[in-house]
Amino acid sequence: MQKSGADLVFTNGRIYTLDRGRPWASALAVKAGRIVAVGDEGAVGPLVGPDTRRVDLKGAMLMPGIVDVHAHLMMGGQAELFELRVPPTASVETLIARVGERAAETPEGSWIIGGQWGSNLLPELNRAEALAKLDAVSRGRPVMLRDDTYHNRWVNSEALRRAGVGRDTPDPEKGSIGRDPATGALTGMMIETAAGIVERTIADSGYYTEEMDRAAMARSIATLNSFGVTAFLDAAAMQPILAALKGLDDRGELTAWSVSAMPAVEPSFMFGIAGDELIALREQYRGAHARPDFVKVFLDGVPGARTAAFHEPYLPDPVLGCCFRGSTIVTVPDLIRWVGKCETLGLGVKIHCAGDAAVSQALDAIDVVRSFNGPTKLVHHIAHASYIAPSDIPRFAELGVAADLSPFLWYPTSFLEGHKLAMGEERAQRFWPNRELLASGALLAGGSDWPVMPNPDPWNGMEGLVTRKNPSGEFPGASLWPEQALDVATALEIFTINSARAIGLADTVGSIEIGKSADLIVLDRNVLEVPADEIANTKVLTTWFEGRVVHEHA
Amino acid sequence: MSTPDGSLVPVTILTGFLGSGKTTLLNRLLRRPALQGAAVIVNEFGEIGLDHLLIEASEEQFALLDNGCICCTVRGDLVGTLKELDRRSREGETPPLTQVLIETTGLADPAPILHTLMAEPELGRVFRIGSVLTTVDVVNGLATLERHPEAAKQAALADRLIVTKTDLADGEAVRRLEARLAALAPAAALTRALNGEADFDLLERPVAEPGAEPERLAGWFDEAVSAGTHECAAGHRGHAHAHPGEHHLHGIRSYSFVIDQPIEWSAFAQWLEYVAALKGEDLLRLKGLVHVTDDPDRPLLLNGVQHVFHPPARLDRWPSADRRTRLVFIVRDIAPEAIEHTLVKFAAVNAASIHPPQRSAAA
Repeated sequence: MQKSGADLVFTNGRIYTLDRGRPWASALAVKAGRIVAVGDEGAVGPLVGPDTRRVDLKGAMLMPGIVDVHAHLMMGGQAELFELRVPPTASVETLIARVGERAAETPEGSWIIGGQWGSNLLPELNRAEALAKLDAVSRGRPVMLRDDTYHNRWVNSEALRRAGVGRDTPDPEKGSIGRDPATGALTGMMIETAAGIVERTIADSGYYTEEMDRAAMARSIATLNSFGVTAFLDAAAMQPILAALKGLDDRGELTAWSVSAMPAVEPSFMFGIAGDELIALREQYRGAHARPDFVKVFLDGVPGARTAAFHEPYLPDPVLGCCFRGSTIVTVPDLIRWVGKCETLGLGVKIHCAGDAAVSQALDAIDVVRSFNGPTKLVHHIAHASYIAPSDIPRFAELGVAADLSPFLWYPTSFLEGHKLAMGEERAQRFWPNRELLASGALLAGGSDWPVMPNPDPWNGMEGLVTRKNPSGEFPGASLWPEQALDVATALEIFTINSARAIGLADTVGSIEIGKSADLIVLDRNVLEVPADEIANTKVLTTWFEGRVVHEHA
Repeated sequence: MSTPDGSLVPVTILTGFLGSGKTTLLNRLLRRPALQGAAVIVNEFGEIGLDHLLIEASEEQFALLDNGCICCTVRGDLVGTLKELDRRSREGETPPLTQVLIETTGLADPAPILHTLMAEPELGRVFRIGSVLTTVDVVNGLATLERHPEAAKQAALADRLIVTKTDLADGEAVRRLEARLAALAPAAALTRALNGEADFDLLERPVAEPGAEPERLAGWFDEAVSAGTHECAAGHRGHAHAHPGEHHLHGIRSYSFVIDQPIEWSAFAQWLEYVAALKGEDLLRLKGLVHVTDDPDRPLLLNGVQHVFHPPARLDRWPSADRRTRLVFIVRDIAPEAIEHTLVKFAAVNAASIHPPQRSAAA
């Protein structure tokens, strides 16, 4: 017999809908995983049947699940399950000591993989003496430590040996192998594409098994759910990631909506087929909740390693000289070709642009495509829309390009310290013009870039959007360009309905409206009423995905 | 340089769908005095039926014909074959090269052959693109054009269209086919062949190529630009207008622009780069005569096939008194408005100086 009533009814809540037409409600009803009524007790009462589960929210705040516009799930899960975790604020001494502890419990011959050291430590680590210290604690185990940008690796001599890297090994294209300036000896620092030499060695050794991939993805999704995230875009989805998402979805174990961005070229930190070859497989990995609908293009690197492309030069450097501006790794015509091709295939493009010149170039390319092709429903993303030339700010809205705000670096961090070393204090501080972007009408979408952020906790990101101060208490008293602060309501939109629009799921998620997926979270506080510097302490008490509980706070 | 007078050797491409009569045409052409000493590249000797002309087969790939022509089959790549022809000619093994004719297979896309000639620097020092000759037979032509995108592309890329087998159909059928062809390639010269005999002086017709006499070039652009207006105004392509779904065969259409204002070459070159990057596959052909600001007395001649462009050739003088920039497009699914809009936006062209596109009958 078919049930006539709702499956689930929430009452007595402070329901923040993110629907501007009806921002608040006190009750809602769910049936077959979809929202069927929103309003007050009277609106849901008629839907209560004998089998309806009733949840009395007792005045708690309920809102739609969070949408993370930029995360790397496999890496996040792997880091959580299998790797040595060191905070980016750790000193060199701490980093080395932790490797020593790990080496003592690691079987002989096995890899020690960990991270993430602050990229501001790069000059200190990029020396033969530092490598000698790392070797001394490694007990002969190969060690690879990722930095907080995920673009660079610091490895020990055993890892270099296994990767076949010696003093005579030439730098790879678009990367460099660290050498001591005094002696030319290797330092173990592997910058940009050089990182791939070691990563590939590990992948080829069979270190990662299918079981690990599956466990990592499942763990990642559980972690996202625990922070209230119920939809995400995987920002560099290689074949094992697409396969794991589809596999989980087919088993009914995918507890978030997933959109995947397939890399146009093999990224430096993940390995396997990419570009046309990978894109051609997308339909076989499509599922009810698994949508390979984006392509990822890396246009430059990161400011701390001086690999981001800027209009103005970096500070003088003994190797790079006085006037180095970084460079983009894809030409404008090639970018035009990619965007054009993706639009033909119905795919959005997420373009990594860390420097302002990369942002300009991406906008230029999209401008060309728009000028020839006219309007589109696809939303392209400029990822890490952070250093932006003032004249480019209005172009986001004009071209319908989403500003992917990730990772949460809109407050003082070790990244910012690295940027100051690379381009000077004043320029480094002109980071994340969020308020100007908002005023220009741009679509701002929030993301974690996890595991670049050690966890995908969006409440940390939202507090930072509002305070421009580091929520952890690090860098006390310091704020980053406070004029760019946003209000809480805007921060909530950025992490829900805006991100849903950006990833093409606005009809399904991002707000509490009839017909949308019952992806709902109950919070331990009303984030619109608490002091701004307490938003990051928010705990998600319960997370529902399609009306099922997928997380409950212990 | 391989020709006796040191100029580049023109390479003519003869294409046409299966059974459209290109082999018959080639056979007749080879008997013309104008083709004395030409080298002919075919896919198979047997296909062309040259046995009666064959006087000496020194080795499998190359054959000397009794009219002095060299005939060879493509084994491996076209680049290698052309280089070998040049080498033999330079070393005196064969008579000096005067011109080359390439006969494609019936299903071939001529664009890659053009790309090879444009993109290979070594070939560019010896050879130049002559013209693309496309045969279309009046019996099956219309159906073939509609059913096979390959055939429509062969016609769209043509400099000269030869309507064959006109003896096998009535005048109305010929006129309908010619209307279709004029829509696909309004700038192409149109010739009828009767019993395999055509106006073989067609090889002397004007064509937009750097080696051409300036007067011929001027003639080509005048015809190309006026072709569309004339057809549109005359409205005698009633058949096409009556069936909107058939307007653009496989989306292929042609139009041209006239620009009064001198062109800033650097901006224009950037626009070209953009259009080639985004629309290369659908930009079947672009020919242009460009008045550039930095050398107003010497126009640039543009020649592009899909994403590949010849380095623009600078002519010594304007071919006629008309010093306006003229651009002739044959495209698939590119609206003229997109070209006009982007010329204004990226090529620094003032909107007021671009004349509304001269639409062909297909527009």
